[in-house]
Amino acid sequence: MSAPSKPVPLTTVESTETSDSGAQTLTLSVGPQHSGSGHMRLIVEVDGDIIVNVAPDPGYVHRGIEKIIELRNIIKSIPVIERPSIIDASNLNHAWVRSIEEIQGVEVPLRGQYLRTLLNEMNRIMSHLYWLSIYGVFLGHTTMFMWPLGDRELFIDLAEKLTGARITYSYLVPGGVRRDLPPGFAEEAVKRTEYFEKRLKEYDRIFFNNPLFTSRAKGIGVLSKEKAIELGCTGPTLRGSGVDADLRKDEPYAAYPELSFEVSTRPDGDSFSRAMVHMDEMRESCKIIRQIVKKIPTGPIRRKAPIVLPRGVAYGRVESARGECSFYLIGEGGDKPYRARYITGSYRNMAAIPAVLIGNRLADMPTAWWSIDYWPVEADR
Amino acid sequence: MSAQRTAQEEDPVATLAEGLSIWVGKLSDLVKKVVDTGPIRNVVNWARMYSLWPVNITTACCSAEFGAASGARHDLERFGVLPIGSLRQSDLIVIEGTITKKMAKRLRMIYDQMALPRYVIAMGDCAMSGGLFHDSYSIVNGAHEFVPVDVYVPGCPPRPEALEQAIIMLQEKIRRSKVYEQG
Repeated sequence: MSAPSKPVPLTTVESTETSDSGAQTLTLSVGPQHSGSGHMRLIVEVDGDIIVNVAPDPGYVHRGIEKIIELRNIIKSIPVIERPSIIDASNLNHAWVRSIEEIQGVEVPLRGQYLRTLLNEMNRIMSHLYWLSIYGVFLGHTTMFMWPLGDRELFIDLAEKLTGARITYSYLVPGGVRRDLPPGFAEEAVKRTEYFEKRLKEYDRIFFNNPLFTSRAKGIGVLSKEKAIELGCTGPTLRGSGVDADLRKDEPYAAYPELSFEVSTRPDGDSFSRAMVHMDEMRESCKIIRQIVKKIPTGPIRRKAPIVLPRGVAYGRVESARGECSFYLIGEGGDKPYRARYITGSYRNMAAIPAVLIGNRLADMPTAWWSIDYWPVEADR
Repeated sequence: MSAQRTAQEEDPVATLAEGLSIWVGKLSDLVKKVVDTGPIRNVVNWARMYSLWPVNITTACCSAEFGAASGARHDLERFGVLPIGSLRQSDLIVIEGTITKKMAKRLRMIYDQMALPRYVIAMGDCAMSGGLFHDSYSIVNGAHEFVPVDVYVPGCPPRPEALEQAIIMLQEKIRRSKVYEQG
């Protein structure tokens, strides 16, 4: 077993101008049928095996959700809104109900806020675990595919107990949440999060401290702090580049002001630091879940909210697993919105794909690309 | 014209080829008959049943549940289902969810490139009939509009157990069918 050769520094190849001035390049189409692409296509231009240009070709899952929302009433839209990021459904749902409540002027009871936060954090863990499992299989590490998916079932069971559905909950409704905590939930949640934290240490041992991963991720796909801000990145991609930006802290919503947690940032901006931000967030989410089941107040879980959307404009945004998810909603007095602009974290992080890939070797593409945590369904909407 | 035809009729090579092709046809009919009635059929179908390799193509959000089904707890590899990158070696497409017009063309291309026999599982309501997005401007209402479908799995998204059942149903279908009439 020989150590993998060091990749060339990122700065050697700057842009496509090198290829225009005489060097022979080859254009490859990666996806949509490819083990390392997902539901999208990347048009990759390589010079030798150095990537000189990348053009993302999204839209394979564009389902016209913004138009569908205009045709349905605000409650019936909730399942449609969840579908783009089915592994992170409740966070997207939260952005939608927040924007509706802002127009309607409905206050959510505190217990309802806590339950929303609880499901959001469980979703964040599930989403990161799904991401991690796909990362594992992209790098040819089948154990890292199986373990996170198996541990994800812990939280899926928990969410199923709370909401009645495995991954698509439609749990958050304007005015509160649909169901109260089932009996015995708190003990189960504490038990499962504590077990999961032990498992995270094992992940470190088998994957994150493993040269198989570190040699392929450290220094690969570097996104500098300035570049990340300039491209408008968000979520773990932005925090992986050393920017301390998290809506849960910057613009606290739901029960977050009353909970103590830390925002993880890493200064390096490479694939490894983005991966470690995900790991830190899972640990913090475990702590938040335990705080919630301990501190949750008694009281109603839902306040009556009107079915109509009054005339007005609202902008609701939350920190979803992949970054800021926001709705710009215009109401005209009916039960349907006049217009809803829907922007998700993956959509904003798409701009970072060429930035992290250009200059790397083609073999490093899965590492750099998937570290952005780009979920094509969420980006295409 | 007529002179040419007589020349061709008298050509011994053409006559031989014609005769041979008749005999080859008869022989292949015999082979099909033997294969489909004897134990060879069972052996071939057994091999096909337990090595259903799906293509690495995901169309929409049901891929999350396909992932959960392939992972620990619902390990699809128990049934011989192992996602594979190469089209030429795969024999199953699991259409995971909504099919947009853009993706439908690619799916048909992928289907055409696969070697026979090939099977299709339409997973989720969207792949059956459009489901939640039936009134959208950019989707195809059902996989049957452009590929023949073997098994439909209802649900939005279907649970991993439902996908496992679909795999078992497809295996049962393969077990009962004739070797040369599959795909």
